Amino acid sequence: MVVRAKLRKVFTVFALSLATAFAPGLASAGSDLASLRSGLAEFALDTHDPAAALRYTRNATTEAERLVRAKALLVTGSHQEAERLLKELLEGQYYRGQAALLLAELPTGPGDNKTREYLETAAKRASGSDRQKALYRLAEIEREAEHTDRAGKVLASMEPGYWAAMGYMNIAADYGRQDRNPSRALVALRVALAMSEEDVDSQRSQELRSRLLVRAGYLAYDHGDHEKAIGFLEKIPLESYSTSHGLYLHGLALSASGNQRAAMQSWHRAKKYPLAYPGVANAWLGTGRGYDLAGYLGQAGEAYLAANASFESERVTLRKLADQIRQKGAYQALVLDARNSEAQWFLADNRTLTQPRTAYLIRFIEQPTAQADVNRVAELREIRQTLNQREDSLAVFRGAISERLGPVDHDVDGGPYQENIEALVQRLANLKARTLSPAQQEALKGAARTLADLKASVARLDGRLKKKDRQLNELMTRTDHALERIRTVRRTADALLSRAESELDERALAYVEAQDHRMAFALDRTEQQIAHLYEYLALENLERGQP
Amino acid sequence: MVAGAQQTVTVGRQVRVAWPVIVVMVVASLLGFTCSAFAESLDEEIDRLKADVADLSQALYQLEEDVLYPVDTQVAVFLTLRNREGLNLDSVELYLNETPVASHLYTDQERDSLKQGGVQRLYIGNLPHGAHQLKAVLTARSAKERFVRREATHQFRKRPGESRIQMTLDAAAPDYEPVVSFQEWK
Repeated sequence: MVVRAKLRKVFTVFALSLATAFAPGLASAGSDLASLRSGLAEFALDTHDPAAALRYTRNATTEAERLVRAKALLVTGSHQEAERLLKELLEGQYYRGQAALLLAELPTGPGDNKTREYLETAAKRASGSDRQKALYRLAEIEREAEHTDRAGKVLASMEPGYWAAMGYMNIAADYGRQDRNPSRALVALRVALAMSEEDVDSQRSQELRSRLLVRAGYLAYDHGDHEKAIGFLEKIPLESYSTSHGLYLHGLALSASGNQRAAMQSWHRAKKYPLAYPGVANAWLGTGRGYDLAGYLGQAGEAYLAANASFESERVTLRKLADQIRQKGAYQALVLDARNSEAQWFLADNRTLTQPRTAYLIRFIEQPTAQADVNRVAELREIRQTLNQREDSLAVFRGAISERLGPVDHDVDGGPYQENIEALVQRLANLKARTLSPAQQEALKGAARTLADLKASVARLDGRLKKKDRQLNELMTRTDHALERIRTVRRTADALLSRAESELDERALAYVEAQDHRMAFALDRTEQQIAHLYEYLALENLERGQP
Repeated sequence: MVAGAQQTVTVGRQVRVAWPVIVVMVVASLLGFTCSAFAESLDEEIDRLKADVADLSQALYQLEEDVLYPVDTQVAVFLTLRNREGLNLDSVELYLNETPVASHLYTDQERDSLKQGGVQRLYIGNLPHGAHQLKAVLTARSAKERFVRREATHQFRKRPGESRIQMTLDAAAPDYEPVVSFQEWK
């Protein structure tokens, strides 16, 4: 009894000393593993694999993991659970700002003031782009409530960059609508231009700058300040999406200041762009009018006839596009076909903007409702494709499992393996007895560890073989269950895809029809111009013919 | 009286004109409401489907690992960046015992994610117990705009249970020389 008690004491002390020796290491390994999981989840989320992110954060303990999980839940449509996690983070230490901003993006009921509260928290707690986005949205709330001055104050507290530029651009649009004098709107646009220069994303900055310049040019032109308008419009880069609109307005401003030749040069350049873009149809008309004003009536007639032919041809293109939408669906006709006809990378400059189908797709996608419709179809198609791939993989797994099921063909007996291992252990012991270098000793230690692992593995072989079929059957059941779930989910996806596609088709057809009306209107105008011109020429001839 | 009668007629006309307009407006607003309700319910259903798909995907990941990578033979290799500004990673190739097992070309999005602290699982597979060699070949552009290709090898011993090897890429100032280090997790 005394010996047993002593042994127990020795073991307890040994165990305690072991625990003390290894505890810090274990804790650190645990936290490092948590950070590994968190990093894996973050990478999965950033590379569009939210399901993997959710899997890595199943047992989220740290705030970083919970934030990634909440983001993945938002992407996968589980808004309620995401909201619960984000509210927890709002009470936490490190991610209050980000959590508040994400909460502000969740849909709220009418009259719910929560969004503003969350945005105010985000503006206080977040940093960098998140803070700027929160402030921009707060300014937008004020602006939409027609409190332009308050919106201006919020914008004044922002750092220069994309979000501040967007805020000033929107305020300029309000001033442009409210004021008779464009000076306030122009000042806001100049501030927006200065702010956009600080945007870290250079491509986005260029695109926004072009839009701002078009607006400034239009405002100046509309209020008769043609020189100022020309100054703004000449700064628009030629490869921008707004170039055609800018060229048309540039032509207008030049024409208004009496320089018809230069105006027509601008309109000629605008005519190179597809008719889908703003300003292009008017540039075709403008060319005729420019010749008319310059006194070249014959060329004016030719220009109007060319415009007429171009509009007619565009109506044919639009009718074909409508037919394709009816036959193949809008997603195939507009999105996929436009993608397939994309130029090679070495041609992928501004010429990609000259493809009519791409032009109509871009114009169509400018509408938020169209974006939502296309996004729904794209998401559902991706889901269906993923499910099909998963089903194929599972069918292969199923085959592999069924091959492994059943009795083992050959006689599996661990005995001979154990004998081999024992023989190797003996050889190892013999080698150890010889004088060895440290490297050789280390190699022998490694080999001894592997032999011990193999010995343990062989010892478990019989038990594992007995459990083999049970485990494989369990895997088979899980596979069958998963296959059934895939089929059920795919049926739902198919039904939803059909609804989403018909909604998109309807909107796309309405859009194409509206474009056709626009072309018909442009056609009417050219025909009127041609009629006026012929009438004038006929009267001139009559007058000349009189004695 | 005449004026009153005229007024009555006018009101009557207004009502007659107004009714169809009101009906059209009510129908239009109802249609608008139905359309938005339809879109909303479609979005809600898509959200529910996405949640189901995410749930199913997690179950399938687990099943895939259980079927393909039994715990006792499983080996996974991860990549992280230590110095987030020092290197722009182009590609990584992995060799296990001189056999190529994984290669990856990086997109801007993946590079950004790694720089933000993301961890990439480069490889998962099976290995027998014993000594093995892992070799990584990476190409990158250093902060000094120098294109570099580096090879790093790591000897390790596969033991029972999951083996995780974390490969960390570092390029510290001032020379931004890429250094690969390995760490094993159990």
